[in-house]
Amino acid sequence: MLIRCNPLTASSCQDEHRFDLNLGKSGMAANYWASTQRRHWLFTRERLAAIRESFREKDKVAHSQFPLPDQRLLNIYFSQQLNKLGKRMSTRQQALATAQVYIKRYYTKNEIRSTNPYLVLTTAFYLACKMEECPQHIRFVVTEARSLWPGRQILTTTNPFAAAHVPSEFIAPDISKIGECEFSLISEMHSQLIVHHPYRSLSDLQAELTLTSDEVALAWSVINDHYLTDLPLLYPPHVIAIMAIIVAVVFKPSSQTAFHSSPAPIAGAMREGGINIFAALGDKGGAGPPPRIQKLITWLAESEVDIKAVIECTQELVSLYEVWEQYSEKNSKELLGRMIKGKSLDK
Amino acid sequence: MTSSKFPQLQHTATTSSFLDIAATLVSPKSFLFNAHCTTAPPLLPPQRSPTMDKAQQPSSFQQLEKLGEGTYATVFKGRNRQTGELVALKEIHLDSEEGTPSTAIREISLMKELKHESIVSLYDVIHTENKLMLVFEYMDKDLKKYMDTRGDRGQLDQATIKSFMHQLMNGIAFCHENRVLHRDLKPQNLLINKKGQLKLGDFGLARAFGIPVNTFSNEVVTLWYRAPDVLLGSRTYNTSIDIWSAGCIMAELYTGRPLFPGTTNEDQLQKIFRLMGTPSERSWPGISQLPEYRANPHVYATQDLGHILPQIDPLGLDLLNRMLQLRPEMRISAHDALQHPWFQDLPQLQAQLQQQQQQQQQQLGASGYGGMMPPQQAY
Repeated sequence: MLIRCNPLTASSCQDEHRFDLNLGKSGMAANYWASTQRRHWLFTRERLAAIRESFREKDKVAHSQFPLPDQRLLNIYFSQQLNKLGKRMSTRQQALATAQVYIKRYYTKNEIRSTNPYLVLTTAFYLACKMEECPQHIRFVVTEARSLWPGRQILTTTNPFAAAHVPSEFIAPDISKIGECEFSLISEMHSQLIVHHPYRSLSDLQAELTLTSDEVALAWSVINDHYLTDLPLLYPPHVIAIMAIIVAVVFKPSSQTAFHSSPAPIAGAMREGGINIFAALGDKGGAGPPPRIQKLITWLAESEVDIKAVIECTQELVSLYEVWEQYSEKNSKELLGRMIKGKSLDK
Repeated sequence: MTSSKFPQLQHTATTSSFLDIAATLVSPKSFLFNAHCTTAPPLLPPQRSPTMDKAQQPSSFQQLEKLGEGTYATVFKGRNRQTGELVALKEIHLDSEEGTPSTAIREISLMKELKHESIVSLYDVIHTENKLMLVFEYMDKDLKKYMDTRGDRGQLDQATIKSFMHQLMNGIAFCHENRVLHRDLKPQNLLINKKGQLKLGDFGLARAFGIPVNTFSNEVVTLWYRAPDVLLGSRTYNTSIDIWSAGCIMAELYTGRPLFPGTTNEDQLQKIFRLMGTPSERSWPGISQLPEYRANPHVYATQDLGHILPQIDPLGLDLLNRMLQLRPEMRISAHDALQHPWFQDLPQLQAQLQQQQQQQQQQLGASGYGGMMPPQQAY
């Protein structure tokens, strides 16, 4: 076949059948190297910091009046809400990932305090479902979102079921709001809506690195977690995939460690043992790591992967798991609610 | 909606009736955000190219005559007020029930990724209150109209055929490198401009997953360029389906008539087999497993394509035969086709072509291009 075969790109062309499957299931088409994602949606850390600082400068009052949790904690909250929304409609994982990337991109263009995050979230979800071939009807999405984020429960003595019917504070019943917000999302993203995810790089590398299904499952969940950080805006998908593989192979946690419920153990393990693997990269032929890991190190050294970038990604993940310990859903919800009400962003 | 607003514009070329649709512009932000925070996003990614999806207003374009009506959009000719450049404006009406149509979203996002000289360029996307306007590079006509008007009863000269085929294969190769199957290549979807450039248009993204027989408007999608493996119900088709279509188009360039003008799925297969020979499990292992396969009562022998294409030279015939292989695995790839010796003398031919075109342009200069524009649907 004439298709360029680079195991590190999000593209693969192992066989023709797969080729078409990829077109269908992985958000279509196009290779990463020429993609709008690479050309327009990769930032340096400095750039991202400057953008956020400029938002703060623009509206200092709002920033001090309506404090919000750490960006990552907020991302955890958004991700959990998206997951709930996705579960109700049995959405594919990749659509949720795409929605998270849309939200990140959108908030590099717009200060969160000038938006209704629940509306942005719902719309990003709706748009991502269209892009990832699992479209949902707009009315269905609105109904689900409204019941997911009901209004404040007003206790009434006459009707014990009243609480269940309190209209949503955050999502209006009018579907045109979603349509308008979708406009805005598409427009702010300059219609650059195809997102390359690390999942495909992971499945491409699975055979090459003879990963076990446990390792793949763990790497997959690490990839899920990276959407909680700025990493999707900072690094190409194959770097993320390799980071996830290293974490999975090196820190293979005991099988009962469920990532989302308690990220702490792996954070500790990574902090302590973690950076050794990278030390080994420079120390060729050192007695150190077991063969399984040695193999990975050799592969990494031979590949043209930016090792420094991989290390930075790993560190980002470690710090995510650390900050995760402070996460409180209630706190995020309250701060967002106060902001939306305070600025009447739900109107 | 359009018809009530622009009733007088159908197929007329009155450039005096320019329309200014700025009045209908409503910024999405005015819905979304509060009045006190309507400022534009302060910073853009540093690598941004100078495209101006948001900055560009609909009023930046004069809307000229209607070029055609597609399944989900209307195409108008337009002119950039600032530069005078002609464009094609594809207007997509928005249905409040489904936001922006998925078809449009896919087409736009895919066109954003595919930038190539042999693929029609998407310049801009403009949102207005109730429609989405895609601004495409302007092309003069589609290949079908081109053949109708330029060729000798539809037949084109050798140099033009070779030039078009090279550009077609170039565009296809680029799509395939980018993991995109066009799936609906036909003369109506290939656009030609006055410079003799051919570009792939209409990435009918509604067709990204499976090829429907009918579009939404129930208009039958032509079968004529469809590969036999697809007609036989194969679900594992790949890039080779576009090569088959390109082969059919190549033959049509020589004769001016479609090579396999079938009326039904079955008839289409019959027409193909009558010329290319009836395949068997021996010539095409696995064929009997395909869903639509029927043991064929008529066993046709393979005909020599040269008989129906007397004008074609031996090298051209060789390339055509490699493209029109019944077995998909046997079909030449776009990349290899570009290396085929038939294209070797293209530079010399192109020099000749350029001369011809200059002459033609001089002739055309007198009459102008301002008359009736044929409907164009390929955007």
